[in-house]
Amino acid sequence: MTQTLDVGEGFSQLDSSHATGAPTATQTSAKFGTFAITFGIAFTLLYTVLERLNWPLFTYQPAVDKLYFWLHRPLSGEGPPMYWYGWIVNAAIAAFVVGSIATIISGQRLRRATVFCCALAALWPAALAALRIYITGWATFDADFLDSVWVAAPPAFVGAAAVTYYVPAQLAERAWTSWLLIVPIAGLVVLGNSLLIYFVR
Amino acid sequence: MNIIFSIIREDTFWSILLFVHFLLAVGLLAAVTLQAVAVLMPARQVAGHFVERSPVPTAAYTALIVVLYVLQALMGAWIYVKYRIYVRIPMEALRHWWTLGSFELKEHFVAMGLGLLPAYWYFWRQPLSAEHDGIRRWVTVFLALTVWYAFIVGHVANDFRGVGS
Repeated sequence: MTQTLDVGEGFSQLDSSHATGAPTATQTSAKFGTFAITFGIAFTLLYTVLERLNWPLFTYQPAVDKLYFWLHRPLSGEGPPMYWYGWIVNAAIAAFVVGSIATIISGQRLRRATVFCCALAALWPAALAALRIYITGWATFDADFLDSVWVAAPPAFVGAAAVTYYVPAQLAERAWTSWLLIVPIAGLVVLGNSLLIYFVR
Repeated sequence: MNIIFSIIREDTFWSILLFVHFLLAVGLLAAVTLQAVAVLMPARQVAGHFVERSPVPTAAYTALIVVLYVLQALMGAWIYVKYRIYVRIPMEALRHWWTLGSFELKEHFVAMGLGLLPAYWYFWRQPLSAEHDGIRRWVTVFLALTVWYAFIVGHVANDFRGVGS
């Protein structure tokens, strides 16, 4: 019996555990597997998003040894800010919540939700980039109001929903653990691209 | 911190911390490289019976790798405070953009590796699942790459302004 099947079975076994009492070691292991895999996908995805949006949970000012909640632009004489800790803690808390939710929903919904979130993470910035190309190169009217992450959201949500709908359930099931590699590698490409400024000077 | 600095000089303290960071990095590098090479090696077959992929008990390194990775990330995060003021500002002033950019990317490599640690640990739990053979192999290789990248870039940054520089 494979562990993937064990994980899948874990969800159905969860229902029966109510009748029999405490969860078995296999169920606990399956739940942990679901949590760990979901945490890995969610953390790497959220870390990339939070870094790009610059949404740290806190900002540390090492020169004056001060900690500020959320994003803090340094005041005069405070020295350079450090956001990295804030991104990591923010992503870890959010991924922990996502991973915990993953252990209580059905396996099929979890796989679908993973496809939806990953597709959304790719399509939202793509939609925004497309809008910006349209505004600068194609629009014949004052289209600056289109340069907004919220305007890019509806097409991204529709696109992600369509991808989720058309991806076969078997493929979503088979590819689920592969997101553990696809997301961090894609994240590093995005984050590396944002650092190109250092390498082309 | 003031108690420590009353015993030893501040720069000596940071040098010791950096050296311990280096020693732990060598240990982590050895363990994760050995495991990554072992999972990439083709399985050997002797007289019709499959034997283990490697004479090294690779699964036994998992807990050590997880502990060292977390410890290294914490130590790196601590030393990073000193780096931000004492190393990065002169690095910018002297226009060492490649070193600076590579170090910025190192933060992201380490963060990605940290996020994968629970799954990595799960995939290496005994008995090893044949179903997860592929993902176990590539997550291990990914972790090894993050450690190698962090080690090399950290070493270059240390050469700019660190122990012995």
